[in-house]
Amino acid sequence: MRNAVVEESCFHCGGPLPWTARPTLEVDGVPRAVCCAGCAAAATLILSQGLGRYYEFRESPGPRAPGDTRDWRVFDREASLRRYTHERADGEREASLQIEGLHCAACAWLIESSLRRVSGVTDIQVNPAAARAALRFDPHRVSFGAVLAAIQALGFVPLPLAFTAGASADVNAERRTALKRLAVAGFGMMQVMTYATSLYAGAMDGMAPDVEQLLRFVSLIVATPVVLYAAQPFFVGAWRSLRARIPGMDVPVALSIGAAYLWSVVATLRGSGTVYFDSAVMFTFFLLLGRYIEMSLRHRSGLQHDALARLLPESVLRLRGLGTERVIADELRAGDRVRVLPGERVPADGTIASGTTEVDESLLTGESLPRLRAAGDPVLAGTLNLTGPIEMTLERVGQSSTLAAVARLLERAQGSRPRVADLADRFAVWFVSAVLLLAAAAGLYWLQVDAARAFPTVLAVLVVTCPCALSLATPAALAAATSALAREGLLVTRTRAIERLARADCLVLDKTGTLTRGEPRLEEVTLLDPRLSAERCLAVAAALESHSGHPLARAFAHLEPAAQASDVRCVPGRGVEATVAGVYYRIGRLDYVLEACPDARTRAVAPGDEERTSVALGDRAGLLTVFHLTDALRADARAALERLRSLGLVPQIASGDRPGAVAAIARELGSLAQRADLSAADKLALVQALQAAGHRVAMVGDGVNDAPVLAAADVSVAIGSGTDLAKVSADLVLLGEGLTPLADAVLISRRTLRVIRQNLTWAALYNATAVPLAAAGYLEPWMAAIGMSMSSLLVVLNAMRLVRRSPARVVRLHEHTAPAGAHA
Amino acid sequence: MSILYLLIPLGLVLLVLALWAFFWAVREGQFDDLDTPAVQLLLDDDAAPPTDPAAHESRRE
Repeated sequence: MRNAVVEESCFHCGGPLPWTARPTLEVDGVPRAVCCAGCAAAATLILSQGLGRYYEFRESPGPRAPGDTRDWRVFDREASLRRYTHERADGEREASLQIEGLHCAACAWLIESSLRRVSGVTDIQVNPAAARAALRFDPHRVSFGAVLAAIQALGFVPLPLAFTAGASADVNAERRTALKRLAVAGFGMMQVMTYATSLYAGAMDGMAPDVEQLLRFVSLIVATPVVLYAAQPFFVGAWRSLRARIPGMDVPVALSIGAAYLWSVVATLRGSGTVYFDSAVMFTFFLLLGRYIEMSLRHRSGLQHDALARLLPESVLRLRGLGTERVIADELRAGDRVRVLPGERVPADGTIASGTTEVDESLLTGESLPRLRAAGDPVLAGTLNLTGPIEMTLERVGQSSTLAAVARLLERAQGSRPRVADLADRFAVWFVSAVLLLAAAAGLYWLQVDAARAFPTVLAVLVVTCPCALSLATPAALAAATSALAREGLLVTRTRAIERLARADCLVLDKTGTLTRGEPRLEEVTLLDPRLSAERCLAVAAALESHSGHPLARAFAHLEPAAQASDVRCVPGRGVEATVAGVYYRIGRLDYVLEACPDARTRAVAPGDEERTSVALGDRAGLLTVFHLTDALRADARAALERLRSLGLVPQIASGDRPGAVAAIARELGSLAQRADLSAADKLALVQALQAAGHRVAMVGDGVNDAPVLAAADVSVAIGSGTDLAKVSADLVLLGEGLTPLADAVLISRRTLRVIRQNLTWAALYNATAVPLAAAGYLEPWMAAIGMSMSSLLVVLNAMRLVRRSPARVVRLHEHTAPAGAHA
Repeated sequence: MSILYLLIPLGLVLLVLALWAFFWAVREGQFDDLDTPAVQLLLDDDAAPPTDPAAHESRRE
């Protein structure tokens, strides 16, 4: 008997639906299917509050709702209130939350609207651009934990940010300061340009000296705050880079702004000579605009939160005397005894004092199968306790844990990469030095020939070569590309990724969680005994597996259990035994199930191939069924890879999984090159070997054990459903559950590269013609400033072409709506 | 041309006023989130009190 998996999507999260019985709910009189109890609960809550519009207006489906009701009460502890909240003068408390799964304005609206109905929440502001929420609540009317629980009930995961870090405030403060600077420069520029135009016209047609002097003084008044306040970052940056002896772009910028301003001030006070306030102010404004665009991009990626802290549990059960207490991870010290329940993460490195369990160490070692751990064995921080409760003694806490070491490794891997990336900056150093030398040479020459022309010439050279087109062209194109990519469902966390994605010719993909969904699903049920129907077997299996924390048990989680199982005993690494409706059953590994029925007639077992994982179910009389589980391919994997291949990228699989399973996936995807059984170090070596062979490698992965590999690849992509540490190290994050946007992203990035090349060519041509003219003294500084602005404008307009909707997108939209319609 | 002595300072006053207004708006957080309010307008329309929670009761097949 073979049951095909029906491919439809969940109403709430858009994820795949389980194989059999699925919860449904009625939306506007139409029954809609959801994938799990968590999504059902979230959707029901949203609809019952009359917030159903969320589903119409959100840009893309949200993440799967975390169904488990986590215990948020630990956040009510004094220590955690102190850490995460801040008491206001009026007795209310403020907290700043990072919200996972928040990705569009509709999500923000949903959280705000729903939370404002919670009595005791006095204010909540959700910012989707930074994935942050600013919360204010009255601790006497509602507890902090209850507010967090209310956010989770909507299907998002709130992460309180340590208040001392003030990270959220920083983002807003930086943005506000930048806006103010931009406004001062912008308003100032408009005014000064008006005066300058009059002055130029007056210089040609004649102007009363007193009016001329008035205009100069007013220009001085307006230009002063622009130079002293708005242009401050350039002076600070120039000073910093000079002290570090690496002249950056800021040096000529600061020099030309400062020199033009000072010269003009002197000219104004003396009442003779030309003023260059217009050049200085315009220059400042355009450069600030470029910086502002870059800053917005950086904030939008918004994943600068301490990733390490997220892999540790928020709360830990600490043993104290004979009792226990829930504490936050911060309160733990080496030597503490803690109890770690199944499903919880280990808070620190230590040794098991009592208990036997299976531990998922895949985050740290890349080992995908759980490890059996018993008393006396070491366990590592960040690993997941799967099956049994353990008590452990902590040894290395916080920064000294292995997890912290992995995070540092990650940082190093990231830190080593800019050596290549800094090429652009190294070019800048040469460019800047050349400009400074040229300006000095022109100045010296003119001092000999015509001293009065010397300063305007030097200024014209500095302004005309202003790397505006150079420094604005690329960010403008990257900004446009970033917003185009976001619409396709890809978040860019580092802009240089776009350029690298365009050049990539080699695609390395992780298997589990990337090409596949990363969770086992029932594929086939082989009935071995006619006593029970397949449905009954599934129901019994669900009853037993609901007590197991093993990853494979998740395949049964969606099924309706036959009845409550009693006398449950979990045997780590082997299976579960229990009594359901008076009958004794065992589920798990074949040998374990057969042990229960030594005198059973041997029954033919379907040939177990190593491509699939099997789970057996039996009773005292013998085997009943064998369930075959597979980690199913993502629905769009094949099509996405085909498109990527047609774009000239050579895909290959690098997996830590068994060769058989990898080969099966590779075959299904059309004979892909594949490497199996790789540890994180092997994958790193593979990527580096490819790079040594001259390939530019794009790596797609999701696990944290992939993080160093992601960091080493030329460009890295993380799947949105993957772990957070991986997200942080990745250049691009796929927001949805599929790989489809990747091909579009390659197309967009290539178009971006083309635009950048056009822009740079234009900037180079412009400089090549303008610099000799300026050095020869043919250009007045104001002409140079206008030329520079025009070239910048052209470059920005060229970049904006990238934002136009691509035809591919329209086609994809149709594909998306079709199945939903059919389903409804 | 002596009118300039009135008009230019007047322009400066307007400039200061505009800047002050902008700074105020920034301080008030008007520019912190430029995406949500646009959608909020459409969404809030429907933020009626819970209609009939029972109708949305989830059930399993």
